[in-house]
Amino acid sequence: MKWPFADLIQIRIEMKAKFILLIYFFLFQTLAFGQTIISGFVLDEKGIALPGVNVFIKGGYDGATSKIDGSYRFETELEGYQILVFQFMGFKSNQLSIECKAELLEIETIILTEEITEMNSVTISAGAMEASDEGKSVILRPLDIVTTPSAMGDIMGAFQTLPGTSTVGNDGRLFVRGGDASEVGIYIDGMRVGNAYGTTAGNVPTRTRFNPNLFKGTFFSTGGYSAEYGQALSSALALNTKDLSIRSQGDLSIMTVGGGYSHTLANEKHSITASANYFNLGPYQGLIKQEIDFEAAPNAWDVELAAQKKTGKNGLLKVMARTESGGMSLWQLLPGTDRKVLVDLKNDYSYAQANWRTILKNEWTIFTGISYSKNLDLIGYDSLQIERSNELIHIKGTAIKDFSDRLSAKFGVEHFIHPYSEKLVREGWVRDFDDRETYLFTEWDFYLNKDLVFRGGLRGGASKVSEEKWLDPRFSVAYQLKEKGQLSFAAGSFHQLPVDNFRVLNTDLQNSESNHLILNYLFSKDGFTFRAETFYKSYDNLVTFEGLPDNPELLKNGGSGYAKGIDFFFRDRQTFRNTDYWVTYSFVDSKRSFNQFQTEVQPSFAPKHNLSVVVKHFIVPFKSQLGASFAYNDGYSYTNPNVDNSEMNAKTKSFQNLSLSWSYLPKPNLIIHLACTNVLGRDNVFGFTFSPKANTEGIFESIPQGQVAPRFLFLGIFLTLSKDKTANNLNNL
Amino acid sequence: MKKYILTTALSLLWITLSFASESAFEEAMIKQLKSKNMIQTAEVAQDVINGFMRIAEANEGEWLPLYYAALTQTETAFRFDVNKDQYFDQALEITKQAAQISPTNSEITALHGYILMGKISLDPGSRGQSLSPQVMELFGKAIAQDRSNPRAVNLMSQMELGMSKFFGSGPEKACGMARMSLELYQKEEEKISEKYILPTWGKDQMMELMKNCN
Repeated sequence: MKWPFADLIQIRIEMKAKFILLIYFFLFQTLAFGQTIISGFVLDEKGIALPGVNVFIKGGYDGATSKIDGSYRFETELEGYQILVFQFMGFKSNQLSIECKAELLEIETIILTEEITEMNSVTISAGAMEASDEGKSVILRPLDIVTTPSAMGDIMGAFQTLPGTSTVGNDGRLFVRGGDASEVGIYIDGMRVGNAYGTTAGNVPTRTRFNPNLFKGTFFSTGGYSAEYGQALSSALALNTKDLSIRSQGDLSIMTVGGGYSHTLANEKHSITASANYFNLGPYQGLIKQEIDFEAAPNAWDVELAAQKKTGKNGLLKVMARTESGGMSLWQLLPGTDRKVLVDLKNDYSYAQANWRTILKNEWTIFTGISYSKNLDLIGYDSLQIERSNELIHIKGTAIKDFSDRLSAKFGVEHFIHPYSEKLVREGWVRDFDDRETYLFTEWDFYLNKDLVFRGGLRGGASKVSEEKWLDPRFSVAYQLKEKGQLSFAAGSFHQLPVDNFRVLNTDLQNSESNHLILNYLFSKDGFTFRAETFYKSYDNLVTFEGLPDNPELLKNGGSGYAKGIDFFFRDRQTFRNTDYWVTYSFVDSKRSFNQFQTEVQPSFAPKHNLSVVVKHFIVPFKSQLGASFAYNDGYSYTNPNVDNSEMNAKTKSFQNLSLSWSYLPKPNLIIHLACTNVLGRDNVFGFTFSPKANTEGIFESIPQGQVAPRFLFLGIFLTLSKDKTANNLNNL
Repeated sequence: MKKYILTTALSLLWITLSFASESAFEEAMIKQLKSKNMIQTAEVAQDVINGFMRIAEANEGEWLPLYYAALTQTETAFRFDVNKDQYFDQALEITKQAAQISPTNSEITALHGYILMGKISLDPGSRGQSLSPQVMELFGKAIAQDRSNPRAVNLMSQMELGMSKFFGSGPEKACGMARMSLELYQKEEEKISEKYILPTWGKDQMMELMKNCN
């Protein structure tokens, strides 16, 4: 509603204003001519004209935008000392004190420097692969992990399609560049996870215990990684959990192998997710014949709680706790006999962690965290009963200081409490150790300009049990070549204590060591990514022993070796409509003397040629995504005593696996997912178990280590329930 | 007598100047909004954004100039060949500044969602997953903050249409919301005068969406 007298008053005000102006004009006549004209030029660091800069007098309306030639010119009635501000998106603002004296004021040429941000500057990509929704050097997206057909929803399955990894089909863990699976350090929100994989027996491949839906992003390094991580000779895998959930919802899953329910409650400050799952492969194995003779099919249940809470303006507290229990039992054939032994496995596992991150004033970022994992295995092998217990407590604090957009430093301290024990239940024999490890690290990033960055890091450690102190220097540099291509180089030294079941036999065992050299080229543009990387790494002080792996004796740090190679990655989301594909080829030449091997041999987990192809295509009218993945390597080395006396003198036939998947989204809140591995039913063999003694004809009889079944078929139905009708399972897909 | 006149004049001068500064803000806004409607190139757009930022700088407690700077920045990213991600990010930054001045403002909340819609449009395959729910939440919040804000309802209907297209369900829901926003636009139009500087945009987009409806 308009006030009826508004116009009238307006007129009166205007009249008064005119009257006043008249007086004003006469009284201060000189002022009317007192306009100062301000003009000048703005350039960037390279001396090129910078158009679009906002040039103005602080606190006033007067100002202008610099033109295409970098020039600006405007008038102001302000007088005396003023502050002239130069402001432009992506550049550091500049200020200049000027004096307006009612005349033409030529300002000296101003140079604005570009602000260095994560998005416009070069990033170190040597050895590093990032999976997230944003970020520049992204290789995979969180969604890719669940939609890669061969992965079957396992994080490691998806990473096995990336360069530098090899698929070891009867193991399931991640093997990086000639290193064994223990050489990959796994972290959740920067906190180390003990026993991240489920315990398994025989040749049944394992999976990660953690559901990919927990994570918003992943940082996977195949070498030369940050000083923040250690105790991993080959690789660091950092998984980052999701921040605050957006809304309350329930998620129900029904699968051929089990089912689960997860419920989330959320508001703007907190969110909490509780979930429970139960898996049992029994009914499935009842329908589809397995190659392995299971007495009890793999089964497990788990309960998990994850909560997030905003603290203050810039803080976030995350808490996660999980407990699970599972097992299986199976009959294992002994080579050269008709005998079978029963292998029975029970596993209890708990993991809990809390971490808090906050940004303080004056550019400090603080992180503190504590995590606890406890793994208990009860293994029955024939009449032998073994109890294995492993605990890990990790306490960590880091502080990051951004001195400027060019220089930042990270400081950290870590402490580990790590008791481990093995017990022969019937005999009551126990052997154990209880280690305390402490680490200090620092890492400095220095941007010379936005095209050139140096990173230097230092990590020092000490172990109580091995009575050893060590220091690992690391260094990397990245240089932006042209608009989209970049070169990175990384070098560093890495230490890792031997695996627990060796250390418990000889607590004097020292760290194994590895040095890395990595050269990387990365090109990414509009949906294309090309990555090439070549590397060399040395191994020293690897554990060697007499006898066989199931009964090692006289363990010592006597082994050494190397791995060298090159890998390529190409991804294209652009060329074909609704189609995304990536191709990976990795060549690894690795030899080492380790475990029972007296000479330097190619380890069974390091095939030379590794190829992986993943294709995904979305068919809009059918609301379906079709996926195919193909993995190939040229075979696993093994020792065949029937050939000669030398070690690793044979190689299996090549490994091949074609997997297909179909995801159907009939409704926004419903997904039906069907997948099948090894569609062609290739009889992959990963090695042979030989009888310890030759038979009457002088031949060592053998049993191939094969697959659990020729194919694995998976059907799952995923339903999201929410008050908010717009909620859909795409968030979880 | 002379002295008396001078005193009156000076006190009037003071009163008028304080009036003037109030209207100076409005005048500057009206002038900038006129230039905003004339934008044909990214360069002119930058000039207009800079103008709004200068007004914001001189009037620290006002959310509107920041709002329009962010809106112009967003529209520039949609319309012209610029570094779109950078423009959207900058728009987000300015929107946050505006939200600090006026924390529960429906228009600012809706604009925040609109900018994220822009971010999604640059890479729907990978950003849609995490950003879409955020956008829906922001539009829902904007509607709750002011039920008479046609832009909040309009933008929500745009998202609904996108979703219905993806899942092949009919556009009924989106159309219902669009009709609702049309009513709100009509109510808003009654208020609009030459001196009206609050947001009024979005009706054309909505009419475009209505073409999908019977």
